[in-house]
Amino acid sequence: MEDLLREYLPIVVFIALALVIGLVLLVSPFLLAFKKPDAEKLSAYECGFNAFDDARMKFDVRFYLVSILFIIFDLEVAFLFPWAITFGDLGWFGFWSMMAFLGVLTIGFVYEWKKGALEWD
Amino acid sequence: METIILFAPLVGAIICGFGWRLIGEKAGQVITTAMIFLAAALSWQIFLTFDGETRSIPILDWIVSGTLHSEWAIRLDRMTAIMLVVVNTVSALVHLYSFGYMAHDENWHEGEHYKARFFAYLSFFTFAMLMLVTSDNLVQMFFGWEGVGVASYLLIGFYYRKPSANAAAIKAFVVNRVGDFGFALGIFALYFLTDSIKFDDVFAAAPALAETNLTFLWSEWNAANLIGVLLFIGAMGKSAQLILHTWLPDAMEGPTPVSALIHAATMVTAGVFLVCRMSPLYEYAPQATAFITVLGATTAFFAATVGLVQNDIKRVIAYSTCSQLGYMFVAAGVGVYSVAMFHLFTHAFFKAMLFLGAGSVIHATHHEQDMRNYGGLRKKIPLTFWAMMIGTLAITGVGIPLTHYGFAGFLSKDAVIESAWVGSSYAFWLLVVAACMTSFYSWRLMFMTFYGTSHAHGHDDHGHGHDAHGHDDHHHEPHESPMVMLIPLGVLALGAIFSGMLWYKVFFGEEAAVRNWFGMEAAAHGEAHGETAAADHGTEAAATETHDDSAATEAAPAEGTAVASEEHAAEGEAAADAHGPAGVAPKGALLMLPFTPEEQAVVDTRLDAEKAAKAEHAPTTMINAAHVVPAWVKVSPFIAMLIGFGLAWLFYIKDPSLPRRLATQQRPLYLFLLNKWYFDELYDVVFVRPAKWLGNFLWKKGDGNVIDGSLNGVAMGIIPFFTRLAGRAQSGYLFHYAFAMVMGIVILVTWMTLFGGAK
Amino acid sequence: MTSVPLPVLMPALPEILLAVGAMVLLMIGAFLGEKSTSTITGLAIALLVFVLGLLVVAPPYGTTFGGSFVLDSFARFIKILSVGGSAIAIAMSIGFARAEKFDRFELPILMVLATVGMGIIVSARDMIALYMGVELMSLALYVIAAFNRDNLRSTEAGLKYFVLGALSSGMLLYGASLIYGFTGHVGFAGIAASIKANGAGVGFVFGLVFVLAGLSFKISAVPFHMWTPDVYEGAPTPITAFFAAAPKVAAMGMFLRIVVDGFGPATAQWQQVVVFIAIASMTLGAFAGIGQKNIKRLMAYSSIANMGFALVGLAAGTAKGVEGVILFMTIYLAMTLGAFAVILSLRRKEGMVEDMSELAGLSRTHPAVAWSLAILLFSLIGIPPLAGFYGKFAVFGAAVEQKLWTLAILGIITSAIGAYYYLRLIKIMFFDQPVAAFEPMPMEQKVVLTGSVAFVLLFVVFGNPLIEASARAAKSLF
Repeated sequence: MEDLLREYLPIVVFIALALVIGLVLLVSPFLLAFKKPDAEKLSAYECGFNAFDDARMKFDVRFYLVSILFIIFDLEVAFLFPWAITFGDLGWFGFWSMMAFLGVLTIGFVYEWKKGALEWD
Repeated sequence: METIILFAPLVGAIICGFGWRLIGEKAGQVITTAMIFLAAALSWQIFLTFDGETRSIPILDWIVSGTLHSEWAIRLDRMTAIMLVVVNTVSALVHLYSFGYMAHDENWHEGEHYKARFFAYLSFFTFAMLMLVTSDNLVQMFFGWEGVGVASYLLIGFYYRKPSANAAAIKAFVVNRVGDFGFALGIFALYFLTDSIKFDDVFAAAPALAETNLTFLWSEWNAANLIGVLLFIGAMGKSAQLILHTWLPDAMEGPTPVSALIHAATMVTAGVFLVCRMSPLYEYAPQATAFITVLGATTAFFAATVGLVQNDIKRVIAYSTCSQLGYMFVAAGVGVYSVAMFHLFTHAFFKAMLFLGAGSVIHATHHEQDMRNYGGLRKKIPLTFWAMMIGTLAITGVGIPLTHYGFAGFLSKDAVIESAWVGSSYAFWLLVVAACMTSFYSWRLMFMTFYGTSHAHGHDDHGHGHDAHGHDDHHHEPHESPMVMLIPLGVLALGAIFSGMLWYKVFFGEEAAVRNWFGMEAAAHGEAHGETAAADHGTEAAATETHDDSAATEAAPAEGTAVASEEHAAEGEAAADAHGPAGVAPKGALLMLPFTPEEQAVVDTRLDAEKAAKAEHAPTTMINAAHVVPAWVKVSPFIAMLIGFGLAWLFYIKDPSLPRRLATQQRPLYLFLLNKWYFDELYDVVFVRPAKWLGNFLWKKGDGNVIDGSLNGVAMGIIPFFTRLAGRAQSGYLFHYAFAMVMGIVILVTWMTLFGGAK
Repeated sequence: MTSVPLPVLMPALPEILLAVGAMVLLMIGAFLGEKSTSTITGLAIALLVFVLGLLVVAPPYGTTFGGSFVLDSFARFIKILSVGGSAIAIAMSIGFARAEKFDRFELPILMVLATVGMGIIVSARDMIALYMGVELMSLALYVIAAFNRDNLRSTEAGLKYFVLGALSSGMLLYGASLIYGFTGHVGFAGIAASIKANGAGVGFVFGLVFVLAGLSFKISAVPFHMWTPDVYEGAPTPITAFFAAAPKVAAMGMFLRIVVDGFGPATAQWQQVVVFIAIASMTLGAFAGIGQKNIKRLMAYSSIANMGFALVGLAAGTAKGVEGVILFMTIYLAMTLGAFAVILSLRRKEGMVEDMSELAGLSRTHPAVAWSLAILLFSLIGIPPLAGFYGKFAVFGAAVEQKLWTLAILGIITSAIGAYYYLRLIKIMFFDQPVAAFEPMPMEQKVVLTGSVAFVLLFVVFGNPLIEASARAAKSLF
């Protein structure tokens, strides 16, 4: 049992670090940032949200769409980086795998384009 | 050919029963009748040309399950041949007769179809009966046995609008089930002990069974005797012997042709047939056969006494049937199976004729069955009268004493009584008294029906619904029956007159002839008892059979066993061992062993010593012994018959007021007899009412409260509760659903951690 | 350079074909717009039928992708069932979608994609491939469930299904990670070898329970069934038919493979889980079904109970049991599709009818339909000589052979209780006063219904090849 727990020590360390970093990021603005509000700063953003408002407010469903589309391509890139680094080792299998992946992604992209998901209105 | 005989009636029944709407009622009747006549003709051919050698004709594999292997096969031997003739002949004649008898029937409305149904049932019955008699094993026989039971049920209840007919049908069915239970137990026991249900295997094992004990109903029994009694219980049910006889008189609710065919000539003799068929077993079951003898004799006596006072013409004949069946059982019980078959054979003719004659009378008098309303019919229906006369002469046993000339009943009944004298004096005396009463009630029937003055006109208030009959113009005038009804009477009359004389020799003549006819081996007796007088009897018997080809071959085993048996003579069990090596079924249709030494000692005292000394064959077997009984024994049934006739004449011709006076004087006795010894009343109290009470109790309390109650409780209380519970769980809230899933996981994990065997 | 060789693709050919086909269809739809719906539906059916034929004639190709994907006769058999079930479900949706005005071309494509997922889960021989297949199937199904997005109940159903599905995926993943952690393998063969060598420890059993819980969600076994009635009721009827048929069969196939292939040495452990789930499913399916008025909800509980019966066979843990489950699922598929063909035809001018009481007097207004449904219901009850009897007989027989008396007896008791709601439906159809007649049945549903009834009726005569095939399929697992 002792050994088993000891194996999890790095995880505990990671959790502790994450907590610390999170807390630091949350607390430091209160300590370090200087507050100098003016009318421009407090006015609504370009997207129409107020600068200071309830976080659980309703907003246009189109933002979801944009964010989902963004995530898809974000993940694509997340795959592409490690692939590019190990590309030399992967050989043709790696190449075609990524081509298939990109192909599928492209088809999805074409579909959403044709369906008009990229148009705001 | 045998297959055709067996299936022709079935084909007829199917065509007629299911196809009459297509081919018409008349065509259905004709087809069934033609089929039976075909079967009858072929049966006679087999009967007359059969050589006595047992044959098995397989039809198909029927039941194959573990060690239980039952073929559907026809066992053709002398017994089968006899029964084929009896069944098919009577059935054919009854079919023909029914054309006339069933032509108009006031139990049915105008335009209702009932004839095709009737003929189909008759043919179906014939098929089932043939199944019974041709069977090669006990299960097949049981199938036929139940088949005739069904047919009997259907035909007794043929007039299903009459409550009494339905009640009689149910009664017959239920009473027969009691017997069948015994029969089934017997079959089970045989299968249990011999691992086979084939007759050959069972017969081969019979000597061994005699030395086996079996635990049944908390005590030890000798297997052969126990099985013998169990099988006989089945026979009692079917053949209406005492205790289980109550259904037969009520069965007269069926149409008269049915009574003639099923309840006189064929089905009721199935019990006798069963006992004879199982003779190789019964020969090793002395207590069982003693029981059969006593019960048969008692039945013969009992039924005859009841028959004395009945007024319904069919009931008189029904009790007469019951009584005659008792005679047959006595013959089987004392060990002369051939005589039992003989009486069965002759009885089929004259009893069927009596019934058909009675039917003719009933037909003539527009469905009047009470003999008190008859009288003086001799002139009006002369042909029927003569037929009935012949039947009466046959049943009462008219013949020339001490010779072999007489009506059929004379020869067969005297054979039974002579054998009974050798076997059991109790049976003998009861049978003689019964013979006297037989004569009395038979003549009483004749006198009341055909002599005297007509009473029909004096009973207009009796109300028979004549108007519906379509004979308005002469509806009180008895009329002779049509030819289709008279021809069967004529044919049966021939049988009633001649069947006894023609076949006396082979049923109850010289032992060698009987043995030869039934295909039995020559009796290897004599030596077994160490009697010097009969020392060379075995070879002598063989030598006398020079007319027979098989005699030479039979002589060899006879001698062989004789030698073997000498070694056992000292041990006193020679009789059992004398019959060939163990494990081989005896040859032939019957088995009739010689007397054991103890029996021989008793028998010798009963015989006419002078005759026995002079006799060609030593009286070491029942047949031989029965031939050397004292002369007064031989004459006694004839005397009894004369007494009966005289009394009947005195009562019903000379002084018709005498019966009434006697009845008043001896009122308790009269009522006792009229009410059939109060058997029905007794059964009603002992069995029927408790059964009804129990049924009611189980129905109302057991079924109604307990079973229905608990089911309703479960179905209408508990299950809806759970259903509501399940419905409530399905709330529609997502978090409930997720909670259920998590709870499921928690339960599973907990269970698996605690009890799941994880290490 | 340690180049990885290109894997053999033949074993995955059906899935590849389906996936490529689906994408091609998607492009066609995207460029041609809504008017291409019927073309695409037809093409989707053609594609499925083609793949079906390919599966029928294909020999078992063996494993590929480093042992994580296999096409053996078991996989082939289950795939044939699910591809066939999908094809029939798409066919049955045509008329309905047109009448209900939601005939968008994405529907058949999503169904094809779900079928790809089914193919993968049936063939998966490691946890990662399994998870990928499950998600591919499930994501398509989430969308399909909410397909009628203008309908409140449909969207609600989709959302519920999605959320609970995510939860179950989480359980599955968590279980898989535990198993990986304690055995050091994700491949089924490796897991089995590890259990054999080290025994089933607590950690592994934890993982096992979580994995089985995640899978039970897909076959809607109690207590992971909660989504089923709501989704069945809320989703458009042809989609419910699809849900009840193909994915159930595929998920059951996946269940069989993972417990036999992956957890074979831990049979004693998973058997207990399966017994629990089976009893719970049978009981709840029987009891809760009684209270239903909506025929689709009734079918939901019927399918829950039937999954319980199937698991009874699996609980036996023998080849015989697996054979029984395969046979049972085959028969279940046929009966369910037939029953839904009838439900889909319950249409009047004013729209679909889902209430059971609306079936009143169907025997007089549509005798053929009523008799067909009656036969199917009798088969679902398990009356011999209809096919349903043989399915139940196979699974209960396998359980009895392993001396799982309690399970078998409970199965029979719950069958008897469940018979009530089938019989009540029959009673409504045959003995109640008729209400207004329905629109005539479309051709495709007639065909499906006839086929289903013929299967149920003739199984007793011609069922032997099917029994043999399922025996072969079961054998290839062991």
